[in-house]
Amino acid sequence: MNRLQGDIVQIETSGHLSIVSVMVSKALILKAIVVETPKTAPYLKEGNSIAVLFKETEVIIGTDQVDTISLQNKIPSTISQVEKGTLLSKLSLTTGQAGITAIISTKAVTQLNLTPDSKVIAMIKLNEMMLSEL
Amino acid sequence: MIALTVQKKLNGPNGDMLLDLDIQIKKGQLVTLYGASGAGKTSTLRILSGLLQPEKGTIQVNGAIWFDAVTKMNRTPQTRNIGYVFQDYALFPHMTVEENLSFGLSKDGDKKEVMELLEMMELVDLKDRKPVTLSGGQKQRVALARALVQKPTILLLDEPLSALDMKIRLKLQDYILKVHKVYALTTILISHDIGEIYKLSDQVFVLEDGKVIKNGTPTEVFLNDKISGKFKFKGEVLKIEKDEVVYLVTVLIQNEVVKVIAQESEIKQLQIGDRVLVASKAFNPVIYKIE
Repeated sequence: MNRLQGDIVQIETSGHLSIVSVMVSKALILKAIVVETPKTAPYLKEGNSIAVLFKETEVIIGTDQVDTISLQNKIPSTISQVEKGTLLSKLSLTTGQAGITAIISTKAVTQLNLTPDSKVIAMIKLNEMMLSEL
Repeated sequence: MIALTVQKKLNGPNGDMLLDLDIQIKKGQLVTLYGASGAGKTSTLRILSGLLQPEKGTIQVNGAIWFDAVTKMNRTPQTRNIGYVFQDYALFPHMTVEENLSFGLSKDGDKKEVMELLEMMELVDLKDRKPVTLSGGQKQRVALARALVQKPTILLLDEPLSALDMKIRLKLQDYILKVHKVYALTTILISHDIGEIYKLSDQVFVLEDGKVIKNGTPTEVFLNDKISGKFKFKGEVLKIEKDEVVYLVTVLIQNEVVKVIAQESEIKQLQIGDRVLVASKAFNPVIYKIE
């Protein structure tokens, strides 16, 4: 499970759902949609420190401008390591101070010519992000 | 409804401790007292059953006052109509299974009730056996049946299954659920087994140093909101296999086997037999009708 820590900077609530924005660094804000509201989960408070969790297999990798894509979470990263399997490959990425891992198909690694030091954008859907109290 | 508002000084393992409770239990519920040894769980059951007298407070059961420190009202244990099962069976060794049950029968009691209990607990074939010839699980079934002979309205279970192995425990849990429902009991269980608590309880009270520090459904108490995923289950790791760059972890959740893809960093802390939380978001699962 990838885990990044940050501070809650915004909470938008509607019905049972909330979109929570978490500032991981000055340049990086991640968003999660959760079936919680500040009423049901007291930890949902602007200013609170929190961890954002997402599974390695839910990370999408892009190499180019990705402005025309619906994904809300885009993390500019650099590949530090590629571990190839027959079907799946594991990419170790660094972003700012933090490291994340992505599991994508080996075919995609070849097609996109992903190698150590490649600059990529790691993308995660809003609804694949979990929050965890610290 | 049981309303227990009492205070009692106890000699805990860490010196004197004040048991200070304000607990309400709805009729027909099965609730669990959970907490470390010496937190006051057994004392709570003893106070409710009349074996231990509080210094202050009141005990009310279905509107009737059982204890009131001010008016000195104090029902005897015999008139409280409570069934009590302990960890160590406490059967009469010189009596057969059937005699152990009949002994608890009130004078105007009906032998038919003993037979009915023997049948429900599947003890008919064992009714002429002495306790020494029975396995732990069988003994505890007898103890449970005996606690029910006098048709109690409240059943107290003080770690009744903790001496039994897992397979027998699961079976005994089914018996407990069955009698709880059939006899419309209000049941209070002491247990340390979170799986057991999940399976049996409507509500959990967590005791620490004589006070309730948390209460709610098992999910509210044990899963909390530490992780926001809404699709959460507790299970046991059955198998861990490596597949290319990922690991496949097989987990037993209740009676179902599920599989989870995990990373090496997650596997490092995992062993076969470990209790784990499997979590996903409410957005991921698909749902469809199966009939």
